[in-house]
Amino acid sequence: MNIVVAIKHIPSIADDLPVKGNNVDFDSVDFVLNECDEHSIEQAVLVKEAVGGTVTVIGVDMIGELDNALHLALAKGADKAVKITGDDPAADSHMQAKWLAEAIKGMGANIVFAGVQASNDLDGQIGPMIAAYLDMPYIGGVSSVEATGDSATVNKEFAGGVGAKYSVSMPLVAGVQVCVKPPRYAPMSKVRQMAQTATIEKVAPSGDSSSGLVFKKMAPPVVTGHAEMIEGSSKEVAKKIVELLKSKGLA
Amino acid sequence: MLTTIEKIIFIVLAITAAGFTFHGFKTIIDSIRKGRPAPELKNIPASLLNAGVKVLFQQTIFKARKVLSAIHMGLFFGLITYAIVNLMDVLEGLVPGFDLVYGGKHIPNAPTGLVNTFNLIADVMSMFLLIAITVFLVRRFIVKDKALTFRENVLLNPKVKAGGQARDSLTVGVFVIMHVGAHVLSQAYRLNEGADPFMPFASFLNSIFGASETGVHVAWWVSIGWVMFIIPYLSRSKHTHFFMSPVNLGLAKQNPRGQLDPAIPLKVIEGQKFDPGAKVIYDLAWTRVMDAYACVQCNRCQDVCPANFQGRPLSPSALEVNKRYLLKEATFGSHPDRLLLPLTETVISPEAVWSCTTCYACVRVCPVGNEPMADIVDIRRRMLIDGYEIDSGVQNALQSLATNGNWMSKGKRLRGRWAKEMEFPVKNATEEPVEHLWFVGDTASFDERVIPNTKMVARLFNQGGLDFGIMYQNESNSGNDVRRVGEEGLFEQLVEQNMAAFGKAQFKQIVTTDPHSFNTLKNEYPQFGGTFEVKHYTVTLLKLIEEGKLTIKNKLSNYKVTFHDPCYLGRYNGGFTAPRKLLELLGVEFVEMPRNCENSFCCGAGGGQIWMGKVAPGERPAENRIKEALTTFGEGANAKTQLFIVTCPKDMVMYSDAVKTTGNEGKIEVRDIIQLVAEAVGVEMPLEAEAVAA
Repeated sequence: MNIVVAIKHIPSIADDLPVKGNNVDFDSVDFVLNECDEHSIEQAVLVKEAVGGTVTVIGVDMIGELDNALHLALAKGADKAVKITGDDPAADSHMQAKWLAEAIKGMGANIVFAGVQASNDLDGQIGPMIAAYLDMPYIGGVSSVEATGDSATVNKEFAGGVGAKYSVSMPLVAGVQVCVKPPRYAPMSKVRQMAQTATIEKVAPSGDSSSGLVFKKMAPPVVTGHAEMIEGSSKEVAKKIVELLKSKGLA
Repeated sequence: MLTTIEKIIFIVLAITAAGFTFHGFKTIIDSIRKGRPAPELKNIPASLLNAGVKVLFQQTIFKARKVLSAIHMGLFFGLITYAIVNLMDVLEGLVPGFDLVYGGKHIPNAPTGLVNTFNLIADVMSMFLLIAITVFLVRRFIVKDKALTFRENVLLNPKVKAGGQARDSLTVGVFVIMHVGAHVLSQAYRLNEGADPFMPFASFLNSIFGASETGVHVAWWVSIGWVMFIIPYLSRSKHTHFFMSPVNLGLAKQNPRGQLDPAIPLKVIEGQKFDPGAKVIYDLAWTRVMDAYACVQCNRCQDVCPANFQGRPLSPSALEVNKRYLLKEATFGSHPDRLLLPLTETVISPEAVWSCTTCYACVRVCPVGNEPMADIVDIRRRMLIDGYEIDSGVQNALQSLATNGNWMSKGKRLRGRWAKEMEFPVKNATEEPVEHLWFVGDTASFDERVIPNTKMVARLFNQGGLDFGIMYQNESNSGNDVRRVGEEGLFEQLVEQNMAAFGKAQFKQIVTTDPHSFNTLKNEYPQFGGTFEVKHYTVTLLKLIEEGKLTIKNKLSNYKVTFHDPCYLGRYNGGFTAPRKLLELLGVEFVEMPRNCENSFCCGAGGGQIWMGKVAPGERPAENRIKEALTTFGEGANAKTQLFIVTCPKDMVMYSDAVKTTGNEGKIEVRDIIQLVAEAVGVEMPLEAEAVAA
């Protein structure tokens, strides 16, 4: 089984997101791996562990720091790592999808995994676009994948917890929402060992695509009101809450 | 006295016994040698001698259970006396006319005084021994002291579960009674000229049973014949303790308490490659394989274990007991294959491995120098490498530590935010030289509940004219608890990050607010080239006050306080005096909890427990500690405000919660010592800060 995982490096929101001009201040923000991609790496490794094969992880290097995420993926069980030297922190999802599809084209993938969406743009475009470029079926919102022969059994969860089971012919692109198991922990000694020994293949971005979207303005939220703290003993507080609810017509 | 035939039987028996004993100890030593290289031990003869002295005076057992320890002491002196007594008995048996009764008057040129003294000591010790062993047997089999049992949920070797230990105890107990009783009786039967004033016990028995030549023979055989069976037996029972505990104590950990053994032995052995940590028993350092033989299964460690207290499936003594049974089954028994089973199946359950708070109480209290806690960390190390599924909370913390350098999923740049909110500039030690580099730590930097105290420390340092700075985003978590969770690789990465930051900074010494950071900076960073002086803030504050740089304006006599020694400041690093001295200077009424200083009870947060997503049921150690404090304050002490004083940011969080969950709000309040110092000194605060405080 030839498995490819397309990952995305996005600005971390552990810090306050700094804004510069009409976009994120990319110089003063750390980049981290998108959370859904952690799940799709885990799902890919689980499929490999079940049926054998190789897992190749590929992503666009936005600010020259993708290696960390690739080493982590290798430590978790991926076999090969490829980075597309985009070096454009503002490259949008259409651009990334085009570059990724071009790079994945020659890999002979049976399954391509991608996170169903990334928390920076909530766009959900990369998976479907790769599928379109490579002429493969796409299934999103995936919660587990089992590969059997030349098709895969894919579970997907709908609103309200309703589950659905699909049979999808391979090769396919799967947009992973959540892995069947929580992503495993990679001990740092293994990650560091990968950082010392692993070779990361570099690919130049090829092709061009644009989402046609342009940032006009980005601004932190404006504080408009404050929470009201109700003081007093628990009885007094309870009384005031009841009054408040009544006054709002809720009780 | 013995007939020729008896002599021949005795010598054959003695040689056989010696053979079995030799085989027993050779087997034990061979198995110990299969352990991994231990950290280098320096000056072994001196430390063995030192241990010998400690054993002779029974110093190490008195750390707990004072009364039982005194009885143990009687037993110990009795048994060493009996080593000589047995030798004399053998001489009496083999050498014609060698007879010690009546001052040895039948022996030509006998030193009568010496013989009488010996007879008296032997006689009295016999009584002691009989009493002591009876007390121990009554304790185990009649009173059934709970301290000698294990919780249902603790993993136990099937043989232990079936009562193997109790059988060992009974065998040796009955042996001692028979052996000692028979010896005294054999002396009583020899008293054919009436009472011997130097043998009161034997004389008393003589007054009942009289003198008898046959009696002497029978009693001699019961006493000495037994020994021929029991000595080889000892090497195969938990009473290997008699021989192994002094040796183990002499070869106990020499490095500082706060310095863990490396995950992979430093000693390089040709052709041998070690994986980090321990999966099977011989992955443990040889000194810790030996621990199993030194352990007599007294369970003192279990008594002080906070995880065991809470009802979690961890018992440090069960770990040692299981180790010994595993070794015994493999070496004396027919199950060498079991040595290849993971320790998590044979000696400690995975849940127990992850229950340890690494508080060091078990190691500290152990009379024979065992280190069950170090085994647990080694097992964690290998579980992490082998991809064992760890608690999700711990995993999140570790992932955040790897990416953000803190466990709270906060961005690096937010670390110094509190300092930027101060009314005076807080220096960046990586940009300008400072005298004191303040290593703030994660909780004090990020936790909103603790930040007010952090700011108070800054204000007092500032007011006291201390030249200090922090490293802002260049500081990473010190890695103390990361290492104790078993994530050695991440620990190394954090050390490298901090060492790089220290390299950029110019400073004379480090001051920390967090005892955990204090511990690893002081004891473990030196191995990574970090040789600097590290002080806890209680020491720095005390110095500022003693040097008159901070003046106490208001004595705080309206407070009645007790103090909790944080494990990593107190038990690990002996930082007992500075906080107490500070409290004395502040003029508060101070009361000491029963468990204090070395014997302080862990809050339950250490060793990664604070990160756990899953909360274990049962009374939490911190809750028990709050109750202990309230009991210490006693009833009717309400005239003064009762305070529970802490000197660790984690304690602030743990105990504030515990006060709430035990429903003791209003009765006791948790405060960091800095809050009291600020109140007594009178902190010059900016107007808006004062408004907030009011």
